[in-house]
Parts: sequence; structure tokens; C-alpha cells
Amino acid sequence: MLSLLVLLGLTACGLVVEAQHCCSAQDRHIVQEQWESVWTDVESSAFRSGIGRYILLALAKAHPEVNELFKDVDIANPESGKFTAHSLRIFDAIDSIINSLDHPEVLDAELEHLADQHKVRDGVKKIHFTKLGEILHEALIHVLDDYNGLSWRACFKGVLGKISSKLQA
Amino acid sequence: ACSNSLTSVELAASSEVIALRLKSVLKMKTLVFLVAVAFVASALADHHHECDELTRLMIKSQWTRAYSSGHEREDFAKAVWRALFAQVPDAKALFKRVNVDDLDSPEFAAHMLRVLAGLDIVISILDQPEPLKYELEHLKEQHDNRHIPDNYFDAFKTALLHVLPAQLGRCWDKDAWSVCFDYIAQGVQGHS
Repeated sequence: MLSLLVLLGLTACGLVVEAQHCCSAQDRHIVQEQWESVWTDVESSAFRSGIGRYILLALAKAHPEVNELFKDVDIANPESGKFTAHSLRIFDAIDSIINSLDHPEVLDAELEHLADQHKVRDGVKKIHFTKLGEILHEALIHVLDDYNGLSWRACFKGVLGKISSKLQA
Repeated sequence: ACSNSLTSVELAASSEVIALRLKSVLKMKTLVFLVAVAFVASALADHHHECDELTRLMIKSQWTRAYSSGHEREDFAKAVWRALFAQVPDAKALFKRVNVDDLDSPEFAAHMLRVLAGLDIVISILDQPEPLKYELEHLKEQHDNRHIPDNYFDAFKTALLHVLPAQLGRCWDKDAWSVCFDYIAQGVQGHS
């Protein structure tokens, strides 16, 4: 009984330690600073929709069933106004998340809202968000001048996990 | 001495008259000049009486500065929303679901930031008619069922135009923001 309590205590401690080390203050700072470079250019909307578009199309390539999920935003015509607008929404969601990284309660509220928005979309799966993390990682290596993969992955693992936490599959 | 002084008075008087005439001529010229300036000024100002191409580009660049990032963005959002509720306290009723009762709550902070992010998307594509059309339609759909009175949009505009100069300092153009905000708001409201 005592050993069980000790074991539980250790496990809880381990979780706390992991939580603190995963997306630490330093990680968040690095991510925010490296993301800033995206905004130095005033004419960034083409760049911004470009990133959003890339991410969504790469996801649809890896998981073709995703095409159906984005049918309403005209994924069949990636250059269309409709899909461009949606690409910007994806970008701005990422941007909002990054800008709230050092305000965990606000971030949680944002992610909760995003989780609710995705919960009601039939066919959206956790595996899509796992893939999204990989795609984001690959994209940012190319896009950002400075990219610290460890920090980004540490932060976005938790972020994407929370957004997909309310999905059934 | 007397006649001399008279002449000097006369001289003085006549020079006075000349000076007055000169003044009136100058005044005329000044007037003409001012009228000309007024015409030019109104012609320049006319550029911002509609949210045209150049105005949109200016709004885009000014917004990027105002929107900022991190905690500054949160403060910016808070200032806008406080200014909104100061004008129309009843509007709070629309935001019960996002914990408006506690303006400092994370839920409401997240909501304020979502709204600004929506505005950010629209402004970033103000110069791209196709995506802009769809984004405004998207926002209109999100607002349709909420039955938001027009004066709430006016209050939001007043709030935004009040806070923007604080973010931007000297370099900002109220008329430009006014006409372009109207354009965006009309799109969201479904008025055209």
C-alpha cells in the first residue's frame, strides 16, 4: 500500500516535471521570437496564406480523406479566393496560439474553443493532427531563418494534442 | 513746424492707407491662397472618402504595426473591448458564453483575441477582392444568428478608432480607417 502511494507520488511528480520541461518558458520564448520574423514584411498576406495553403494541401496529400472535409472551402481549387481565405484562417489560428504561449490560461481557452470547433466536424481524426505537427515542422524548417525544432515540437505537441482532445477517433 | 508736422501726419496717413491697401491685397492673396489650399486639401482628403486601393494598402501597413504581438496584442484587444462596453454596456449580453462577466478571464481574453484575429485576416486581404469576399461572407455567417444591432458595430468602430492612434502614435489616418472600417463592417453585417 505504502509502495503504491510512493509509486503514485513519483508518477505524479514525474508528470509535473515533464509538463514543466515540455514547452518551457525558454521554449515559448524561442518559438515566439522565431515566429516574429514572419511578420517583418508588411506585405505578408501572400506569405501567410501560402503557409496555410501548404499545410492543408500537405495534409490532404498524406490523408486523402481530408479532401472531403475541406470540400466546402474549395480545396479542389487551392488558388481560389475561398481556399485562400481559409488558409489565412489556419495561419491566424497558429499565429494566435504562438502569441498566447506565455499566457497559458488564455492559450487553454483558445485551444478549448478550437477543440470544440473541430469536435463537430465529422471525419476529423486525431491522426490528422499528429500529421499536421509533422507538416508544420517540415514547413517551418524551410520558412524560418532560425528554427529550433526541439522548442517548436515541445510546444506544438501539447497544442495539437489539446485541439484534438475532444475527437472520438 | 506745424505745417511740417501736418505733412508728416498726412504722410503718415497716406502711408497708412497704402499699408492698408497692401494689407487688403495681401489678404485677398491670402484668401485666394487659402481657398486654393482648401481645394487641394479636400481633393486629397477625398482619397479617403472611400476605401480605395491606396487607402487599403495604407490600412494594411498601419494595422500590422497596431496589431503587434504577445502581451501587447492582448492589451490592445482589451483596450478596444473596454472602450466598446463603455459605450454600449448592454452589448455584454451577447458575450455571456465567453465569460464576459469577468473581462480579465482567460475565456474572454481568448475571445477578444479571436475577434482581432478575424479583423486581422480581413485587413490582410483588403487588397485581394476574391479572398476578401469569402472572408467577409464567412464572418457574416458567423454573425447572422446573433442579431447584433447596428449601433454595436458603430460602437466597435468608435472604440477601435479611439485605441488605434494610441498604438500607432502620429502616423495614422482617421478618415482612412473610418471608411475602411465601414466597408468591413457592412460586409459582416450584410449591408452593402
